[in-house]
Amino acid sequence: MTEINTPKHIAPLAVFRIAFGTIMLISTLRFILKGWIEAFYIQPVFHFTFYGFHWVKAPAATGMYTLFALLVISSLLVTIGLFYRIAIGTFFLCFTYVELIDQTTYLNHYYLISVMAFLLILVPANRYFSADVWRKPQLYTECVPAWTINIFKLQLLLVYLFAGISKLNYDWLIAAMPLSIWLPASSWMPVIGQLLSKFWVASAFSWFGALFDLFIPFLLIRKETRKPAYIVVIIFHLATALFFKIGMFPYIMITVTTIFFSADTHLEILSFLNTLRSVKAKESHGSHRYAESYLIPLQKMDLIYAVLIIHFSLQLLIPLRYLLYPGKLYWTEEGYRFSWRVMLMEKGGTIFFHVKDPSTGRTSEITNPQYLTRFQENMMATQPDMILQYAHFLAEEYQKKGIKNPVVTAQSYVTLNGSGSRLYIDSTVNLANETESFDHKKWILPFDKN
Amino acid sequence: MRKFIYAALIAASTIIAIQSCKKSGGSTTPEESPAFDRKAMLINISANIILPAYTSFQTATANLDAAVTAFNASPDNTKLVALQSAFQAAYKQWQSTSVFEFGPAETATLRVNVNTYPTDVNQINANVTAGTYDPNILANLSAKGLPALDYLLFGTGADNNAILLMYTTDSRAANRRAYLAKLSAELKAEAATVLSGWGSYRATFEGSVGTATGSSTSSLINQLVYDYEILKNYEVGIPAGVQSMGTTFPTKVQAYYSKMSLQLALLHTQAIQNIYTGKSAQGDGQGLDDYLIKSNAKAKDGSSLNTTILNQFAAAITKLQGLTDPLSANIVSNPAAVTAAYTELQKLTVLLKTDMTSSLGILITFGDNDGD
Repeated sequence: MTEINTPKHIAPLAVFRIAFGTIMLISTLRFILKGWIEAFYIQPVFHFTFYGFHWVKAPAATGMYTLFALLVISSLLVTIGLFYRIAIGTFFLCFTYVELIDQTTYLNHYYLISVMAFLLILVPANRYFSADVWRKPQLYTECVPAWTINIFKLQLLLVYLFAGISKLNYDWLIAAMPLSIWLPASSWMPVIGQLLSKFWVASAFSWFGALFDLFIPFLLIRKETRKPAYIVVIIFHLATALFFKIGMFPYIMITVTTIFFSADTHLEILSFLNTLRSVKAKESHGSHRYAESYLIPLQKMDLIYAVLIIHFSLQLLIPLRYLLYPGKLYWTEEGYRFSWRVMLMEKGGTIFFHVKDPSTGRTSEITNPQYLTRFQENMMATQPDMILQYAHFLAEEYQKKGIKNPVVTAQSYVTLNGSGSRLYIDSTVNLANETESFDHKKWILPFDKN
Repeated sequence: MRKFIYAALIAASTIIAIQSCKKSGGSTTPEESPAFDRKAMLINISANIILPAYTSFQTATANLDAAVTAFNASPDNTKLVALQSAFQAAYKQWQSTSVFEFGPAETATLRVNVNTYPTDVNQINANVTAGTYDPNILANLSAKGLPALDYLLFGTGADNNAILLMYTTDSRAANRRAYLAKLSAELKAEAATVLSGWGSYRATFEGSVGTATGSSTSSLINQLVYDYEILKNYEVGIPAGVQSMGTTFPTKVQAYYSKMSLQLALLHTQAIQNIYTGKSAQGDGQGLDDYLIKSNAKAKDGSSLNTTILNQFAAAITKLQGLTDPLSANIVSNPAAVTAAYTELQKLTVLLKTDMTSSLGILITFGDNDGD
């Protein structure tokens, strides 16, 4: 139980709050400046929602910009620790809502951000080195129970561990896929460029990547290995940033893994930040007039424990749900998302939808760009649940055009890790009649048999 | 924490045991050879394919404009035939020029300015009647460029004698001649702008050797696929009724009035194949075919992806050659043969768009990805 209740210095939590708020601020501003609000949420006429979240709709332009304005403001407030609980709650809700609008933009690291923001709601990260303490000195706290810090370490441990486990397969370790496709694309780089097209280099990267994910959380936990491990974290994530177009992910990981450092290190970070500040916060004074330990009423504590137990149980089980589905996971993608599976496959597809009027037997091929952006079309072409959603949308569209019970079929060709494109779903099945559920989709053709 | 670590390790090893070890690809170990020289490919394509294409298009549009000037000065049958022939030469040249909609061509939005069809006959006639033409308004996008000239030079009368009257004795003959002049001058100017733009852009193009979105290789492949889809959909599919419950639109073909739609479609397919193979008047240089071979890209059956793509080019061209001009008449008389050609063109779309880009790791999406 020492990992739960032992009093620990609050400094790691305060630094984590500042780091998370800052990187979220940068991340959100970057998203806005790239014009992605317009491109991903305002332009598309159709959005791919998540199963069970069809009620999440993209608001009109003003609403979308308001959501992002709230994200900017709340991440700024989280950083400085002002009105913290409201700020982090707002951030969590707005961010998650935006992510739920369209699964085209799903990224594991966006999911990680939602999870981290959720956990941050539960902890008193504003009771040290914050505007809230400056505002209300009685909030000042030096000691917090260990769980408030350890939940973040546990979460990150799960992320790395599952990412590592998912790499232990033939494609990644033996065929060095997809790195042996991706790395040669960077062969233009000076010095290392020529090496990148060598198979052994792709293999070495693959093995190192797998080992890194599997062991780095444990090396970060151990005091003796922590410093070199963190240097490896920095090098590893910067290398992925160099080779792959993965946006903010490397920087987010470099930032959040600082949580593994000791309170002493974090106090040093804070005193360094302190020298940068013009206004000194109250916590710097010496006399301890205020409650230093963070005490939570027992009832509230029980609730938090319950929430955490449920949360981490789900975190353990969700990545394993793929075991319940038949077929090759990378091909069917049933149970693929929310499992920390990153950089695992080079998958591409082209899909042609056909709508048939059963009364005349006549057929039309659909021009996808009239309903979907290119980004949406590309993402949909390789993911069965999105294919089904779009097919239902087309059925509705043609129903509106006066065709009774239109038959929607899809001719879809997908290539996985350089396999060469092959028929992906049964092109004879009327997708308008298929329903979305957590069951296995029988109309996905097996990878090996075609 | 320690207990948890042990538990996690045990769980991890169990999952590893369960995890399927099935192999994805028909891909084998890539050869241990130096990386593909993308720069050499970009230099070959820009020096031997793109620049000659723009130079020829600039010449063709200048000849077209000169033929219009000569015709307008004293319209007669000989000059009409000469003008029609200059027009046809320009339209043919456009087929190997349309792909490169990046850099200067993208700035000039060359593709839609030169070749938006079907042309809007009502808009053209309204412009002729009014005696005004503003190239910048959106409605005139389908009343300009080669398709508008196609109508003006071939569609305004049943034969050349009737057409000639529209430029001589017709009450709006003067306006029509002026319209011709404006359109051909606009084409000539656009072609010249893009060609001169390539003077400085060429170094940018050849120097951008990465594969990210916006790099030359990525732009080239994206536009190649995009232009090929225009060919498949607009030159063949849509007129043949594949997107309209089988209702055909024969008049929507490219170059409907000059009746050379099929000839142009074949030239267009050939031009795209030449970019793919890197072939030009200078011989067989580095192209996407060499890139795929170097990447050891495989098709579904395990054979070379390059061979599969070349075979599919051949299959599509054979099916197109089975049709005849005017394509619009073919669509009416033998729609099945046209849709059969469309099907072969469609198969090539998949190979170029999915197999080729995926094998080369070329990014075609706009957002971030985490590799899934």
